Amino acid sequence: MTRKESQQLGKGLAFLSPWLIGFLVFTLLPVALSLYYSFCDYSLLQSPAYIGTENYRQLAADPIFLKSLKNTLIYALMALPAGLMVSLGLAMLLNQKVPGQAAYRTIIFLPSLVPTVASAMLWLWLFNAKLGLINNLLDQAPFSWMISALNFVLGILHLPQIATPIGWLTDPLYAMPALALMSLWGVGHTVVIYLAGLQDVPGELLESAEIDGAGAWTRMRHVTLPMLSPVIFFNLIMGIIGTLQVFAVPYIMTQGNPARATYFFTMYLYDNAFRYLKMGYASAMAWIQLLIILALTAFAFWSSKRWVHYQGK
Amino acid sequence: MQILKQGFSAILAVLAVFFLIFGGRREQGSHEGRVVVNYWEKWTGNEAEQMGQIVDDFNNTVGKEKGIYVQYLSMSSVDQKTLVATAAGVPPDIAGLWDPQVTQFASINALEPLDELAKAHGIREGYYKPVYWDACRYKGRLWALISTPAAAALHYNKALFVEKAKELRAAGLDANRAPRTLDELDRYAKVLDEYETVRGRKQVKISGYLPMEPGWFMQYTVYWFGGRLFDEKTQKLTINSPKMIEAYKWIQSYSKKLGKDSMTEFRSGFGSFASAQNPFLVGTVAMEQQGPWMANYIEDLKPSMNRWKMSKEQERKLPYEARQANYQWGAAPFPSAVANLENATYAGFDTLTIPRGSKHKKEAFEFIAYVNRQDVMEKLNSLHCKNSPLAKVSTKFINEHPNPYIDVFEKLAASPHAHGVPKIPIWPEVSEELGVVAQRVYLLEAEPKQALDEAQARLQLKWDDYRARQRARNSQNAANGGGA
Repeated sequence: MTRKESQQLGKGLAFLSPWLIGFLVFTLLPVALSLYYSFCDYSLLQSPAYIGTENYRQLAADPIFLKSLKNTLIYALMALPAGLMVSLGLAMLLNQKVPGQAAYRTIIFLPSLVPTVASAMLWLWLFNAKLGLINNLLDQAPFSWMISALNFVLGILHLPQIATPIGWLTDPLYAMPALALMSLWGVGHTVVIYLAGLQDVPGELLESAEIDGAGAWTRMRHVTLPMLSPVIFFNLIMGIIGTLQVFAVPYIMTQGNPARATYFFTMYLYDNAFRYLKMGYASAMAWIQLLIILALTAFAFWSSKRWVHYQGK
Repeated sequence: MQILKQGFSAILAVLAVFFLIFGGRREQGSHEGRVVVNYWEKWTGNEAEQMGQIVDDFNNTVGKEKGIYVQYLSMSSVDQKTLVATAAGVPPDIAGLWDPQVTQFASINALEPLDELAKAHGIREGYYKPVYWDACRYKGRLWALISTPAAAALHYNKALFVEKAKELRAAGLDANRAPRTLDELDRYAKVLDEYETVRGRKQVKISGYLPMEPGWFMQYTVYWFGGRLFDEKTQKLTINSPKMIEAYKWIQSYSKKLGKDSMTEFRSGFGSFASAQNPFLVGTVAMEQQGPWMANYIEDLKPSMNRWKMSKEQERKLPYEARQANYQWGAAPFPSAVANLENATYAGFDTLTIPRGSKHKKEAFEFIAYVNRQDVMEKLNSLHCKNSPLAKVSTKFINEHPNPYIDVFEKLAASPHAHGVPKIPIWPEVSEELGVVAQRVYLLEAEPKQALDEAQARLQLKWDDYRARQRARNSQNAANGGGA
């Protein structure tokens, strides 16, 4: 390295140092310490006492930990595909050249600008079993007919029928689907990313497909979706991380109720850390969560070789 | 252009240096030269302001005389913030915590013991009502004193009783008084229940009583059945004791009576506690379990209930006993399921504690002792509309209290059947679990015995594990030559 190069390196590191120091002290060090604490009995004010893998052993037998993990995975399975499909569908609609296109795009994006607490409060009212707009709509035709028809079919199949009014947030059966439904409220950001991806789909490919006689569905299936696959992949990864860390909205809307039907992993982690003062136990939970997210992300990357197509490759 | 850029950068740099040096100065005012005591409190809104009045009184009198200034800050999540600040070595000098945290925080050395300071100020066991004094102690030491206490009582809507007087009489009940036994409460509730048919569906219109409204004391229901939640002698939780099962069966009976779906739909229509849509204020729930503060909320949200027969001016001319007739609501001891269990209650409280590492312990306690002076304590609890934690209560406090039933709460708090939170450090976890058990039971997801057996098994394991870890920690400390 020449003298000039080392001078430049020094300057570069000097400019980088505020972030670098911040990252090391406020991110990397706590993360490393949390790994150590996960093997300790630690309550913040007592010095950590090493107990080996005891926290992990107890977690494996803790029914609430398992319940919260199960709830989180069920929520992810509901909210993630629904979010990806709805946002992709909306992006495709908003990509159509129709009058008022910009206005429609704005309307779809607007809900994602509403603060989390405000939208949670709004949805609390929408989901209210007695006074909520959703149940009021379901009480009117044609929705009431549809529910009657559905109940008729469920009756024939000897399955439990839908009791109205639906206790969206008070009935353990509906609370989780209600939260997954509500998660669609904030798809605006994902729609924007899809829209940007759709602009990048080469027009010449769509044109040649059309000349070759491909219809709208075939063009979407064999041209648009493969060209959009890197964007879908990106949204999938972000969705996995986001849904497995869900916290704020259920914490405000249900606090994990009814009867822990919406008690998520991060809520139990938070309770252990700050309400029960079991930092070691909570640290172990955090590392398990990290490993689960890591495993699912790695699986998504591995599977991406089969379905993600990059232009020029 | 270059000169302009450099000039602009220089101005920015000068401004930055100026603000660094002079920008963030601690507020200096009338307290210059005094020891500043930082006091963090949980309350917001009216209750925070009312405590603010006490702080101002202190700063202008005793504080001035002794050279102490209390810097008062109200905040949310005061417990978590106190804990983190204490761990970081910069705790407040006083923290206003909730009652379950006395044991929880004391068990991890997050608090300073107050025995010596209290003794020096003449605050001893007999100064407090027994239930509150006992709750401030853990492992033989005093860790907190009280700011505002409470006791749970039955509140009933007299107007609804009058409306149904005929039906109540037909059922052998008296419309002019509250129920005196739990069986009587159930019978009153049944008469007061009203249903309506909307779109062909039978719905609850008025509920005589609902254990889950507001449900704040549901985990302590066993106190009214003559049972306890924890056996201190055997160090065992008694969550699945026969009394507990009986108590939870009683909770479930209301769900079965009203119908689970009708009940959940009915409850969905309730507004929040501190709103004009509070079901007790609206008149959709005729009886509920509440604390003495309810009178203040009624005055704020539905003042007509505090002026049932006459104006406030006219009421003030009446003797204390006669005032109660002007209130559309009444308060009475919550009835027990067991004979001879009079004045059973859950007695909770807000505390004043000194977190470990406080730099001004002595000065902080001067303020705590000031709050615990009888006149100050009575002023604060009149403002907060709560009873007094002190053994001695003045006639003025009773006669001028905004709650016309304060004597009921005083009697309950002084009762030998008043119980606080069990003194186990894992109580917040136990309490949370009992809340979930109650939900499973009233949503008919599980039978009381099954739900309580499961909770007992899980929580006893947690409690045993906690104790084993503490024993191991203590042995390790002893081996290292330190204290436990």
